[in-house]
Amino acid sequence: MDEAPEPNDDELVARTQAGDPEAFDDLVVRYSPRLYGLIYNMTANHEDTNDLLQEVFAKAYRSINGFRGKSSFYTWMHSIAVNMTINFVKKRGRRHVMSLDDLDAGVHNDPDFIEATTGGDPRHDANLSELQQRLNEALQKLSHEHRAVVTMFDIQGMPHAEIAKILGISEGTVRSRLFYAHRQLQIYLEEFIKH
Amino acid sequence: MDEDANLSKLLHLKRYEQPPPGYFDDFLREFQRRQRAEVLRRPAWAVFWDRIASIAPTFRVPQFAYAAILILAAGASTLIVTQQPTGTGGKADGPRTSLSLTASKPVTITDTLPVAARTGGSLPSHYVLQSRPVSNEQPLSF
Repeated sequence: MDEAPEPNDDELVARTQAGDPEAFDDLVVRYSPRLYGLIYNMTANHEDTNDLLQEVFAKAYRSINGFRGKSSFYTWMHSIAVNMTINFVKKRGRRHVMSLDDLDAGVHNDPDFIEATTGGDPRHDANLSELQQRLNEALQKLSHEHRAVVTMFDIQGMPHAEIAKILGISEGTVRSRLFYAHRQLQIYLEEFIKH
Repeated sequence: MDEDANLSKLLHLKRYEQPPPGYFDDFLREFQRRQRAEVLRRPAWAVFWDRIASIAPTFRVPQFAYAAILILAAGASTLIVTQQPTGTGGKADGPRTSLSLTASKPVTITDTLPVAARTGGSLPSHYVLQSRPVSNEQPLSF
């Protein structure tokens, strides 16, 4: 017997707006892994990410009656998450402790990881935690706006147009921020990049 | 080019950073618990205000309504400004009369009378112009 197809975002939003809280639960389950990655890569702290993600969904739930569908629910949720995270890291300022999440075991088999940590050159030898540490430190040196763009484009694989909609800026601005951020990261991560 | 590609590969590795196992299973339960706690903790007016704030953007206001409100506000401001009484404060300053371009009565300037004339001639003649004493004696020069 075929299972019923999963309802799309619009259906779940409509049901939530009609007063069905379980529909919003489905949206939370659907979006929490992706938004976790977005927030975590901007804060580099698991506890902060957890609290912020809770607040993001709470705000979305409170505001969902105001969601008119002018953008997709995906864009709307990501906009809330990015704006709240940028406000949070601005307030947090320098007071922050980096807490690294566990790396998924799959990283050991990733050819990019093998290449980055060995590369046949003794200078490139690095262990897993060192690479993780250096990547996060380099990202934290970027401005909040540049970090947001790098997180969405390079880590989450979003297209320029989607990032532009989420941040409310032009695609040209997204590209120029990416260009500048990549230059900065290449300097910070020089020893892992140059082969 | 190579450096850019290598950087992208390196940043891709961050996808492997994941929260502890079982985190997302617990996340929804934690969200529901916090929601219930928030409803109990927050005052009723705050919950009511959130509701109003969340549905406010759904009000269907015709675009010309904003223009009508602006015109009404401008009209009201003009009316208030033109209804301001003229010459306020004149009584408190005795014989002085405030000058106003919109004054409807003729203005009598009494400040230019000699002070001696107003005090019965017991003082040397001084003139007061614009409330500042002015002497007719020669100024000292060095």
